[in-house]
Amino acid sequence: MNAEMVKYASGTAARPARSERTKIPVKCRRRNRFIPAFLAGTAVLSILSLLYLDIDWAKMASRVPDIGLVFWDLFHLDFSNMDLIFSSLVETISIAVLSLLYSLILGILFGMLAARNIFRLPWLSVLTQSFFTFLRAVPTPVWVLLMLVCLGMGPEAGVAGLCVHTTAFFTKSFAQSFESIPDETIEALEVTGASRLSIFVNAVLPAALSQIVAWAGMRLETNFSECAILGMVGAGGVGYVISNSLQGYDYGTAGVAILLVFLVAYSIERLFVRVKKKFY
Amino acid sequence: MEPILRFDNVSKHYPNGVHALKGVSFEVAEGEFISVIGPSGSGKSTLLRAINRLIPINGGTVWLDGQAVSAQRGTALRQLRRKVGMIFQNYNLVYSLSVLQNVLHGRLGYMGGLKGVFGLYSEEDKQEGLDLLKELGLEEFAYNRASDLSGGQKQRVGIARAIMQQPKLLLCDEPIASLDPSSAKTIMDLLKSMTQKRNIACIVNLHQLDVALKYSTRIIGLSKGEIVFDGRPEELDDATIERIYGTSRENLMIGGHGNDQADPAHCA
Repeated sequence: MNAEMVKYASGTAARPARSERTKIPVKCRRRNRFIPAFLAGTAVLSILSLLYLDIDWAKMASRVPDIGLVFWDLFHLDFSNMDLIFSSLVETISIAVLSLLYSLILGILFGMLAARNIFRLPWLSVLTQSFFTFLRAVPTPVWVLLMLVCLGMGPEAGVAGLCVHTTAFFTKSFAQSFESIPDETIEALEVTGASRLSIFVNAVLPAALSQIVAWAGMRLETNFSECAILGMVGAGGVGYVISNSLQGYDYGTAGVAILLVFLVAYSIERLFVRVKKKFY
Repeated sequence: MEPILRFDNVSKHYPNGVHALKGVSFEVAEGEFISVIGPSGSGKSTLLRAINRLIPINGGTVWLDGQAVSAQRGTALRQLRRKVGMIFQNYNLVYSLSVLQNVLHGRLGYMGGLKGVFGLYSEEDKQEGLDLLKELGLEEFAYNRASDLSGGQKQRVGIARAIMQQPKLLLCDEPIASLDPSSAKTIMDLLKSMTQKRNIACIVNLHQLDVALKYSTRIIGLSKGEIVFDGRPEELDDATIERIYGTSRENLMIGGHGNDQADPAHCA
């Protein structure tokens, strides 16, 4: 290596014709080996998955034109069932809002327990965090199905099932927001002799409020779209209408319902962008 | 007269092996205005935070108003803490709240149960908070967000919050280190006048030797965790200053290079 470097050095000094053998390296001497390993691993996994699934490519290709046909049918909007679509959409929004509200309260409560800087009890934080990590690991539709078994068909199961996952999500994100409050601010309240709970409510919570609003807005969007899916497993709402009309080849009605779901989700997003701007 | 604060052979060493305090002893009487000076890492901050047990000590005893601080836990500790106000270099306000709300935080230690948790302050407390803000020239900002204020104004809110506690002792951790010279003077004048008026003892950590000499009734010089000087400002001669900072007085005036030299020596 040293010999080569000497050669480069003398080469630049005298500027002779480029030597026939060596090219000037441009990359770092110590390269990160992780990225090539990661790419190779992904390639191997993709090949294995393809082999296992044994996809019938010919059949799939022959059905591709159907995608266009179905979308064409969906765009023949059929407004005859508007009252049904509308009431189910309102039901979906209500489920999303209610589950958000309950989860906000529970999330602040458990987030307080999970944050390390509020009560300064490491075991409490670890216990709360790991419990909710477990809840988060199970996807929402599974929770809703479980709740359907427990509470019966209908929106109650949807609210309860969404709450489990949303609370788990809020607990983690709120705990992070609470932990991002500077320790010095908490120290300043500590020296006044205030209790831990009072420090939380009077200092940490107001300081983290804008972050909480941001998380809630993001989650309302997710909850609404998840709610649309949940209707398909029987938790009521617009999803039920969509899956029913699709199965009955009533593409016009399904098209209207899907369009409305899109519009509502989009408006929620725009709304919270504005709310957040006001908050800062 | 019983001293408000008594350090009895207090020592503190951190897990990383740094001995921040080595057998420190002193007493503080009512109405004293004490500056603690010394290079970075000499144990000034540790000394201040040992008083209200923000940092637990390893040896000796801190007596605050006749009670041993290190023996206190839970409610008793909180009741002891509210006798000691504290002011910070970075103000440490809750910037999303109003100025008045920040001032009223000083009362939280006196409010039990749900009132304290939800910050339901009494009308008398609110009036007192507004009066204090008026005294500090901030009455027009009472309902502004604390984030709207300038540095000097934020520190005045910090003072108001500490005075709201009706403390017997006020601790100031580098109160003017983040301020411009004119704001710094305002803050030092206010600290002096407000504590004298209310007969509150005041301990100020300072980097500025000239400020310490001008305002204090007494100066404590710390070096490597030990008290090397404890006396009136006029007794502080050049030889003592050199012992505290490990460098001559002239060097201190040019941007404090002496501090940098003292640091590695202390850590070693």
